[in-house]
Amino acid sequence: MHMTNSLSTRRSFLKRMAKLSAITAAATMFPGILFASEQEEGIPNSANLDWKKGPCRFCGVGCGILVGTENGKAVAVKGDPNSSVNKGLLCVKGYHQTMCIQSKDRLTHALVKKNGKYVKTPISEALDIVANKMKDTISAHGKDSVAMYTSGQSTIPEGYVASKLMKGAIGTNNLDCNARLCMASAVTGFLTTFGADEPMGCYEDIDHADYFITWGNNMAEMHPVLFSRMLEQKTRRGAKIIDFATRTTRSSTASDRSILFEPQTDLAVANAICYEIINNGWVNKSFVEKHCSFSKGLTNIGYGVEDKFKFTDKPEKIDFASYKEFLKDYTPEKVEKYSKVSAKDIKYLASIYGDPNKKVVSYWCMGMNQHTRGTWMNNLMYNIHLLTGKISQPGNGPFSLTGQPSACGTAREVGTFTHKLPHGVVMNEKDRRMAAKIWKVPYERIPAKPTYHATEMFRAVDRGDIKFIWTQATNPLVSLPKTSRYRPAMEKKSCFVVVSDVFPTPTSDVADVILPASWHIEKSGLYGNSERRTQHWDKMIEGPGDTTPDAWMFIEVAKRMGYGDLFPYSKENHVEEIYNEYRQFHEGAKHGMAPLEVLKKESGAIWPYVNGKSTQWRFNAKYDPACTNGEDFDFYGKPDGRAVIWQRPYEPAPEVPDSDYPFWLNTGRVIEHWHTGSMTRRIPVLHKAMPHAYAEFHPEDAKALGIRNGENIKVTSRRGSCVLPASINERGLPTKGQVFVPFFDENMMINDVTLDAFCPISKEPDYKKCAVKVEKA
Amino acid sequence: MPIKSYLAHPHEGRKQHLIDALSAIKECEVLPATNEDVLVVITETLDDVSEEILKEKIEKIDSLKLLAMVSGFNSPQN
Amino acid sequence: MKKRLGIISLFVLLFIAFIVVWNFSYQTGLEEAYIPIEKTQANSYIPSESGVFQRSEFALEYANMPIDKNHERTLDSYYNNRAYHGAPPSIPHTIKDEKSFGGNTCLQCHQNGGFVSKFNAYAPVTPHPEMVNCRQCHVAQNSRTLFKSANLIKVQAPKVGVNNALIGTPPMIPHQIQMRENCLSCHAGPAAPKEIRVSHPERINCRQCHVPTDRLVSEIKPFTRTNSNNDE
Repeated sequence: MHMTNSLSTRRSFLKRMAKLSAITAAATMFPGILFASEQEEGIPNSANLDWKKGPCRFCGVGCGILVGTENGKAVAVKGDPNSSVNKGLLCVKGYHQTMCIQSKDRLTHALVKKNGKYVKTPISEALDIVANKMKDTISAHGKDSVAMYTSGQSTIPEGYVASKLMKGAIGTNNLDCNARLCMASAVTGFLTTFGADEPMGCYEDIDHADYFITWGNNMAEMHPVLFSRMLEQKTRRGAKIIDFATRTTRSSTASDRSILFEPQTDLAVANAICYEIINNGWVNKSFVEKHCSFSKGLTNIGYGVEDKFKFTDKPEKIDFASYKEFLKDYTPEKVEKYSKVSAKDIKYLASIYGDPNKKVVSYWCMGMNQHTRGTWMNNLMYNIHLLTGKISQPGNGPFSLTGQPSACGTAREVGTFTHKLPHGVVMNEKDRRMAAKIWKVPYERIPAKPTYHATEMFRAVDRGDIKFIWTQATNPLVSLPKTSRYRPAMEKKSCFVVVSDVFPTPTSDVADVILPASWHIEKSGLYGNSERRTQHWDKMIEGPGDTTPDAWMFIEVAKRMGYGDLFPYSKENHVEEIYNEYRQFHEGAKHGMAPLEVLKKESGAIWPYVNGKSTQWRFNAKYDPACTNGEDFDFYGKPDGRAVIWQRPYEPAPEVPDSDYPFWLNTGRVIEHWHTGSMTRRIPVLHKAMPHAYAEFHPEDAKALGIRNGENIKVTSRRGSCVLPASINERGLPTKGQVFVPFFDENMMINDVTLDAFCPISKEPDYKKCAVKVEKA
Repeated sequence: MPIKSYLAHPHEGRKQHLIDALSAIKECEVLPATNEDVLVVITETLDDVSEEILKEKIEKIDSLKLLAMVSGFNSPQN
Repeated sequence: MKKRLGIISLFVLLFIAFIVVWNFSYQTGLEEAYIPIEKTQANSYIPSESGVFQRSEFALEYANMPIDKNHERTLDSYYNNRAYHGAPPSIPHTIKDEKSFGGNTCLQCHQNGGFVSKFNAYAPVTPHPEMVNCRQCHVAQNSRTLFKSANLIKVQAPKVGVNNALIGTPPMIPHQIQMRENCLSCHAGPAAPKEIRVSHPERINCRQCHVPTDRLVSEIKPFTRTNSNNDE
């Protein structure tokens, strides 16, 4: 018995070995290959559960999830083994995401403020109040006195209806969204360099790259599933990870090299890398000659800290020689003096990008985007990849990650920004005519001038210019910079505030009307993730009480305002009807969206979806049918088919540490919590693992200040202060002279302290740099 | 008892047929790739002779384009 | 007489003054000696990141290792080897050289593990090989008898299979991880107790899915909104 047992163990071991070696062999032949049945192994097969597919609610990676429902309740979540994004794996947030739906303080009914008290109100009555208030405000103060602030968590149909209501029906550009706070710089970066938004590559790059260089991006915590895919390539193929950051994190620990830099000097280091590439003759000459042009823009462009700040760049063509001359200020030896990155390390980074035999992917997210020179920093990243020709090929390319599930799909593609339309921008007559035609509205109704970007929108509320604001699926009074100004602004009587959300938040606390929104699996919808993948899901469970999908609330209000003929959608089928209308905007080889039948069947499809196929690498003739110039590459977003290499200098941050405020303040996230914590903190597993925020110190700073671990300290800037427990060398380790605080905690509002300076081109605020002082509380 | 693993490539559009045909053979374990036209096949037979017979049987399947062996092990008989 | 009375009253005055001054300085002295005790958090809730990815270079080997059913450890024997869960395990075998230091003896087997024929077992891998004064905490079991028996309360050790919040979700970490940040050393390889051996050691970024829970340390209250200006 014993003998046979060990023999059968050995045989099953050999079978496993045989299987593994065959899978490995297949993976070398077909990178990105999936064996769903293999991934399903080990996942309990709870037979009674009904499993339905959808995308994850948290973060921009867009993992496929399967939700197990039983008797109308969501009881389990597992990774979708058929999704090429996550191949069956999730992170701790993903696995537990459905646990918050039944939170005791869930918003289940509309609440209307009457004499300072919230009164439970039937939803239809609450929507009457909203519609009447909106109409009255418009007739009293004009179209531009009402505003809407939506979200990268809104679904594609929700964003589309919001845009159609504001721009097409009412006729105001007072529509912006929280994606302005997280990837506006990525958008302007793409548009200035390529003339077309969103990454050219896809996640499959991970299976091909030799090097991953992460720029100010703690992927192990923020994009954990992608990071796990990188780690897999590191253990299986020996791919290398290099972490370039201002803080030592879990990602640094897992990386092959961790290189630290002084905040804001990433601009100089990126230029120094370009200097090295040119100086050592590592430029891919034929690629640059055929596919690139050179430009420069204005310098000393300001920081937008004052109200009504305006800036327009003036691009000017330059030649390679003058670009080369410009880079002479950025030799590694000069840059090491203020970047605190040794010339040796700069040369090391340049040598990786410069080696023609190594495939390199660069990843970044908020570190580069939430930057007062965010657009420039994105441009500089592209410069490195363009000079070396390492772009738009499997395993080679710059890749801008996103933070919200539909920051790409809704905010960027549908265009819930003041300047955007579902196709193109309001400034462009052709785009306005297209929108007017599809929306069936007079073309003159869509105004040609953008109005308020996110920060300016809340400044306008403070000034009294905006008299009605409606926010959905976002929590600006925790997530805006300098909430110490915008919270009192939203409390003012001059502005009527409507908040649609799933849970009460500091934003709903100041609302005049609170509308109860459906959680994502309580409605049908579509999200678009960072790799241009559109994903659809069907409603899986019923929401409690009067909860209603955001799109349907917009439609109901539009009908009440007299725009019913523009919104002829049915309650049961509006998601499908809206998506089919929206698809018309993107028809063609450059941005074709997959038909709904395909998205219902598959775990997402990557646009441009042409002839029944996803386009994984844009601008590369081998993969992208929109390339028409007969060359290997065609950057068709630009009229001349050339991507732009931008001359962008280093300029200092608006507020730097001085003797009164001697520390940098950096803010960010932790793996357990997402966005402002309004959802994840209601998930017991996540809350217990990370119950509140904290302030990270370098041990030497802590010693000099006499601060011990866990002791309460007060972080103060010129705008406000916040008291938090100190954390010394636990989750992260900031560089000396820097304090790091996660922003998820509404009870410890670090955004009262941050500065509302932004990138003048993208208008995206910089949450990563301002000056603070620290004392014991 | 020989244990071998193969990559099986089907003729275009005939992946499902190949999966069905291979799954019908008792000695074969089939692991189809979800997104590529390739199958992992693991065979377990009593001895070299039956291994030889099995291989001939597999190669007769008309939806099979190419069968490539990846690894082979031999475990002693009990 | 007057003169004498004057001298006496002077001395009395001086004496009283002395007592007052001495008392006052004694009291202030006491005050100064008082050191305020500041309130700090007893338990740090954020586990350190050090060592998280240690041994990850062996992840693939762990994944491909056959399971030696004849020499598996069980969770029972694992817990039996320590006074309470979380306590440093004692040394259940004879020690090669009493005078030697960790790096020379203990780590030979306990740094990377492996089968030791002398003890007919796989050596468990230490999660903190950098701490070489092993026997500061780990002591030998040289006697089975007690000096005096005591009424020790046995702390309930965490159980396996009950730590997941939803069906099929990754279990939370039911124990403290101070000095045990490196998961693979105890949860992978042939010396790992069979109940807690991970089925997917190649994943290595363990805390992507598994986060600590408070169940056995100190209770963490549910999320409450302290700044909220309305409580419906």
